[in-house]
Amino acid sequence: MAETAASHAHAPAHAEGTNYLNAQKGLMSWLTTVDHKRIGVMYLISTLVAFGLGGTFALLVRLELLGPKKDFLTADQYNQAFTLHGAIMVFLFIIPAVPGALANFVLPIMIGAKDVAFPKLNLASLYVYWAGAIICLSAVLTGGIDTGWTFYTPYSTVTSTSVISMTFGVFVLGFSSIFTGLNFIVTLHKLRVPGMSWFNMPLFLWATYATSVIQIMATPVLAITLVLLIAERAFGLGIFDPTLGGDPVLFQHFFWFYSHPAVYIMILPGMGIVSELIAVHARRRVFGYHAIAYSSIALALLGFLVWGHHMFVAGQSELAGVIFSFLTFFVAIPSGVKVFNWLATLWGGSIAFTTPMFYALSFLFLFTIGGLTGVFLGILSVDIHLHDTYFVVAHFHYVMMGGTVMAFLGGLYHWWPKITGRLYNDGLGKLACIIIFVGFNMTFFTQFILGSRGMPRRYYNYLDQYQPLHAFSTYGSWVLGAGFLLSLFVLMTSLRSGAKAPANPWGGASLEWHTQSPPVTENFPGTVEVKHGPYDFNAEGTK
Amino acid sequence: MSASHSTAHAADTSKLSPQFHVAHHFDSADEQFDSAKLGVWLFLVTEILLFGGLFCAFAVFRSWHLEAFVSAHHHLDKVMGGINTVVLICSSLTMALGVRACQTNNQKQATAFLIATLLFAGAFLVIKYFEYSHKFHDGLLPGRYFTYAGAKYPDEKIFFGIYFMMTGIHGFHVVCGMVLIGWVLLRNMKGHFSSRYYVPVECVGLYWHLVDLVWIYLFPLLYLVG
Amino acid sequence: MSAHAHASEGHGHGHGHGGADHVPHVLPLPFYIGVWLALLVFTAITVAVSYVDFGIFNLVIALTVATMKAAMVSLIFMHLAFDKKFNGIIFVSSLVFLAIFIGFTMADTEGRGLAEGIEAKHPRDITNPFTGTEDEPLPGGATSAATSEAKSAAPSAGASPTQTPPAQGGGAASPAAGSPPAAGSNVAPGAGGAQPAAPQGETR
Repeated sequence: MAETAASHAHAPAHAEGTNYLNAQKGLMSWLTTVDHKRIGVMYLISTLVAFGLGGTFALLVRLELLGPKKDFLTADQYNQAFTLHGAIMVFLFIIPAVPGALANFVLPIMIGAKDVAFPKLNLASLYVYWAGAIICLSAVLTGGIDTGWTFYTPYSTVTSTSVISMTFGVFVLGFSSIFTGLNFIVTLHKLRVPGMSWFNMPLFLWATYATSVIQIMATPVLAITLVLLIAERAFGLGIFDPTLGGDPVLFQHFFWFYSHPAVYIMILPGMGIVSELIAVHARRRVFGYHAIAYSSIALALLGFLVWGHHMFVAGQSELAGVIFSFLTFFVAIPSGVKVFNWLATLWGGSIAFTTPMFYALSFLFLFTIGGLTGVFLGILSVDIHLHDTYFVVAHFHYVMMGGTVMAFLGGLYHWWPKITGRLYNDGLGKLACIIIFVGFNMTFFTQFILGSRGMPRRYYNYLDQYQPLHAFSTYGSWVLGAGFLLSLFVLMTSLRSGAKAPANPWGGASLEWHTQSPPVTENFPGTVEVKHGPYDFNAEGTK
Repeated sequence: MSASHSTAHAADTSKLSPQFHVAHHFDSADEQFDSAKLGVWLFLVTEILLFGGLFCAFAVFRSWHLEAFVSAHHHLDKVMGGINTVVLICSSLTMALGVRACQTNNQKQATAFLIATLLFAGAFLVIKYFEYSHKFHDGLLPGRYFTYAGAKYPDEKIFFGIYFMMTGIHGFHVVCGMVLIGWVLLRNMKGHFSSRYYVPVECVGLYWHLVDLVWIYLFPLLYLVG
Repeated sequence: MSAHAHASEGHGHGHGHGGADHVPHVLPLPFYIGVWLALLVFTAITVAVSYVDFGIFNLVIALTVATMKAAMVSLIFMHLAFDKKFNGIIFVSSLVFLAIFIGFTMADTEGRGLAEGIEAKHPRDITNPFTGTEDEPLPGGATSAATSEAKSAAPSAGASPTQTPPAQGGGAASPAAGSPPAAGSNVAPGAGGAQPAAPQGETR
């Protein structure tokens, strides 16, 4: 099934200064590459573009909410803006970002492999991602979409906007996600070098493995959901549309059977990155390696048992509500196990306050808030008050943005020297992180208060009493945007003027730090030997 | 007996699958073979869960509208469905024997079995076509387009909505399977496969058996108990 | 997806890795024929059974036979019985996740309306849920008109939240369900909430 590109046949003979970036030149060498590192870089650029696009819509939404009533968007335009913000961020950025970009780059190197198991499938997943993205964005040109990123029926079966192109695009993107997950599972099973046992793997890989399991098990259900939704619109199938005898709550079951596990597709890789960041930048062996590894798997499995907590007030039966609420609390256990183990790792470590460590600490702070407010929402009676308010919006953003995006940026700064071979300005990097942290809390902590006071989500208009808080949140979004721009600026300037990165700038112990920066095309010039564990910071060559 | 047969052939590997090589990132041919199969099994999991959504919808609506579903399923033709089941079972057999022929370096036999599989698959689609056109003619169409006048229960249209989605998506998989079988058939005729390298045939075979597996459940649920 | 594209690379490449050649595990022919015959027999059985009415057991028999057929196809035709165990684990795990999906979904769809019956027998004043009366049933049903709604605002019964499930359809409506059932101004929204909207009421 899998095999090599013609150029790889002679790869072992590397000239001095050769690396995967300059081994071949020209646009076509990138578009036809099967090198997981180049595919990872292309994923990185694509997802960052999506992040910028989704962020722009977020800023538009916040700007509209600066004052009550219409500011500059009509109600319809507002609906489209928050839908596009959600759909782009979820399907085009946060789901593919860490697996597609960072894990794609470091996973094979971390296990000492030359590539993923199916390199062509890996490239195919990128092309499928592009195709899906184009189909999704074509919806903007053909009438927009105003259903919210969840495409809930019955509205999505009757709205005149282009639901079909958006959902078909998401359907296609699902294949990209499945291909990536499938590839990683096979790679981790079959391509670990001798000596790289399961419990010798960096924890990021355990998290990636758990993510891949979810991608395999959950994504096809989203696919069939969207196919049924498209058929409902096209043929009036009568499964989801209540006027034809269907059940809109069934759509929510279908949708959340994917989309609840999908939030673990989003957060688990972030947790994996944070495990790396904290260990490497505190120079201490991870506390409770096995506990963190197993908790990743536990989260992946538990994530399949709790989807009904999105539907407590949607007309779901009380019996199901009670079961789902009960099970939801169990998710807090593996999450708590992780947080406490990270804290225990920091305790007594020699913490280096680098940019990645700043992001890791931000993650710890923000994810803990996001996780605990999730427990509030899992309580049936509390959820009836908080459902569909800004409290939910704030909770979601604390986990997804405060959690995953912070971890993603931390990972990006952590592996940037490895990916590009350049060092960046650490001081400016930290400043950007602080600005993002402050802006984030200004934007979203406010929304906890708004939500608990009853401000419903997805409204472009609101009562005057909410105006000061909404305005403060909007100011925060500007600070947040400025932080991201500065962060981008730091990385871009490093490409032009950054110092050349050594092979191991942080003193890491996992295998990716034992090859040059940037790595050669097949990752390691010679055979790979696993001499010590991923967190043996006293071993030779990690000082 | 057959095992010794294949090892005898494996001793002279120079003529078997001359293009075959182990890709640079695999250590051995076995590892490459196992990886491919593992990948296909993971893919089959996604297929099972894809159809699983339809089975879930079927279960929910059947339990809500039991009388309507039982009444509606009498419009399906048990005989045609049964014949199609037999056709698919035969195609599964010929596919399995095709893989076996590759394993034993019997290229001509493999070609014959793969052609037979293709023919069975085609026969399945032809029978399905007659079933569909009969339903179209009677107005037994999904949801909004349901025009059949003799329906006892209004919810029979939901049965046909699910019926057409299930069999339609299954039929689509049959078409995909035919394309894949055609692909390995052509490669087999070019002599690419042998006992040391037949993993594409094996993988397409796994996919084809899954298509059969899905039908094994679709047939009794839709045609027999409704 | 194929090694075909690399025909030009030279044949010697793969042998440099020193891996053992792949040797297939060939099953004897009677295995396949036997399974095929068994599948045909089972198909005949399941069709024959469908002509007799066993009630619920028709479904049970049909699914049992189908599962036996599926087991034969997966174990023999798909070689799971002789394959790496992990492939079998993957296959079985997909069925486990499918069972979770269908099982939990049906825990909802089969359980709808259970609570309404229980709560109708034991009405509670939602402003004072722990001291409500247990005996007196509510005057009027769920579809009581605005006139009886005024009566139900009496302290004994209260506007039972159990009878206004459609009001919880959207988050925005929940404050109405949660507000104290004061007579006067609340009569109209309370009645509106109790009126099940035709298309929605059917589905909840």
